[in-house]
This record gives sequence, structure tokens and C-alpha cells, in this order.
Amino acid sequence: MGLIFIRTIVIFITLLVIMRLMGKRQIGEMQPYELVITLIIADLACIPMADTSIPLLYGVIAILTVYFLHQLVCVVGLKFSTAKTILSGSPSVVLNKNGVNDTELKKNNLNVSDLIESLRTEGYFSLDAVDYALYEAEGTFSALPKKNYDSLQTSLPVILIDEGKFDKRNLERTGRTKEYFLRILKEHGADDEKNVLVMTVDGNGKIYLQKRKGKYTVFHLNWEKKLW
Amino acid sequence: MIRTIASIFITLALIFGLSFFEINYVQETFRDFRATVETLRHKAEAGTATYQDGITVQRYWRKKRDVLHVWVPHNSLQEVDYQLDETVGFLYTGDYAAALPKIEVVIGLAENIPQLYTFHLGNIF
Repeated sequence: MGLIFIRTIVIFITLLVIMRLMGKRQIGEMQPYELVITLIIADLACIPMADTSIPLLYGVIAILTVYFLHQLVCVVGLKFSTAKTILSGSPSVVLNKNGVNDTELKKNNLNVSDLIESLRTEGYFSLDAVDYALYEAEGTFSALPKKNYDSLQTSLPVILIDEGKFDKRNLERTGRTKEYFLRILKEHGADDEKNVLVMTVDGNGKIYLQKRKGKYTVFHLNWEKKLW
Repeated sequence: MIRTIASIFITLALIFGLSFFEINYVQETFRDFRATVETLRHKAEAGTATYQDGITVQRYWRKKRDVLHVWVPHNSLQEVDYQLDETVGFLYTGDYAAALPKIEVVIGLAENIPQLYTFHLGNIF
């Protein structure tokens, strides 16, 4: 029993460390330790149940140990905020009033496309419609929209430049050439696409441009007609 | 919060209580069993062990085994069963030369099985 207790703790800690190292993407709406418990408990219950050569008490003790660890993590999390951060992680502000925070995105193994996709699932289609976007500890997105965010999303924006690379399909969709957009980039102080973190364009010609380590700008291109 | 802390201590007490009981019970049971088998070995070495002696040890073991199933993986206990049955068989035919190695195996098992439950690094990993 004592050995099972220690062995369960070892496996629990190992899984918890691995889950924390893997980052929030692997978690999906659970705290890391909750996911670890979910992963362990099913097997703990099943193995002694299915294998009649193992005393049932082995499973019971292991499950009790997991319960003990769960309660312990809860108490430690409530009492010590630093411990909670270590065990569960903390939210990351991946988008703020200056635009996309590339460093925070990278810390969470995300790219700009992932951020845009996650914001879309929250109902925000345009990056400039949001003041803040947070990647929560349990792997979900939360966003604080601008007051007039509805008026900022009049057409679907598509990514034109994603971390220094043109998206060829979306470029074709605009009906403009790469040179056309490179010229626009130059007008806004970017030598080429490599200096751009993200550039989106919507059907009305509204451009969201953010250079690497810079604040975003929004401007409109004078297009004769709405593209989509 | 108080309930959570209480549940932590209750769970810990339960686990540690069961652990210490398990270690003591398993070690004590196997120590007694080993002593019984050693007596049989002495008799077998002297050539005085009978089939009835074998049956007595077997009965003693089976009585203990039923409770040991709660604590020890059943495969380990089956191994003791198997070796003891063979010992009894050899004692029935009076083949002491064949019975003695089997008795040694049973003694070895009675020594080794409780060791699997002690706290040391090898058992944890």
C-alpha cells in the first residue's frame, strides 16, 4: 500500500510536470492537475478491476492517493498564489491595446493564425475589435472587445501576411499583386514582409498592420468595390 | 477549507494505517509460514518427514493464503501454492531428494515476497 502511495505520487508529479511543460494547448478547459487526475484515474480504476491477479485494494489505495493529491493541490492553490501559478499556470495577455503580443504567443506555443482562429470562435473576427485577449491557464481564450466592436467588423478579415510570410491564397483573393502590398508596406514604414508580424485585410480594404515589436495600425485602402 | 484539510488528513491516516498494517501483516505471516516450512525441511533432511507433515504445512498455508489475497498479488501466492503442492507430492512418494529443493524454493519465496513490500528505492521504481 505504502509503495502504491509513493508510486502514484511519482506518476502524478511526472505527469503534472509534463503537462505544464507541454503548455496550455494540450489541456483544453481543465487545470493541468485536473487533466492529470483524469488521465490517471481511469486506468487506476480499470486495471485492478480487469486483472484479477491484482488485489482490489491496490486500486483503492491508488485512487485514494489521487484524491489526497487533488485535495492537497486545492488547498495549496488557495493558500499560496505562487504555488498555484506553478501548478496551474497563469493567464497570458496575448493581445493588448498595442496589438498582438508575439512573445506571449510564442511562450504558449501559438502563432498569430491560432490567435485569430481562437478569437473567431469567441465571435471577434477583426483583431482591432478587441482591446485585450487572454489565453487562460486552462487553455481557453477570453477577450475584452472594444465598445464599438460591432462597427469594426463589417467584413471578414483574412490574413495577408502571417509572421513575415505572404499567404498566397488570400493574396489571390484580393486580386492584387505582392508588389502592390509591398508598396503599401513601404508607405507604412516596413521594408518588406519579413518585418511584419501580421497584416490582415477585409473585403472593404481595411488593413490591420502590425510590424514586429511595434504597435498596430489600421488604415483603409481606396478600393473601387467591396471584394467580399 | 476545513473540510478539505480534514479530508487530506483522514486520507493520509487511512493510507498510512493500511500501509503499516499491510507491511506488518505480510511480514509476520510469511515469517511464521517460513518457520513452519523450515521445520519441514529439518524433518526432510533427517528423512522423517511424512506426507501428513506436508499436508499440515499445506493446510496452514491455505488458511493464511486466503487473507493474504487481500494484500499480495495473487500470482505470487500461486507460485507458493505450486511449489508446496509439488513438495507434498514428493513427500507422498518418499522422494526426499526431490522434495528438499522444492522446500528451499518455498522458503525462498517466503523470504522474498515480503521484501517486495518494504520501502526501498528498488521497490518504488
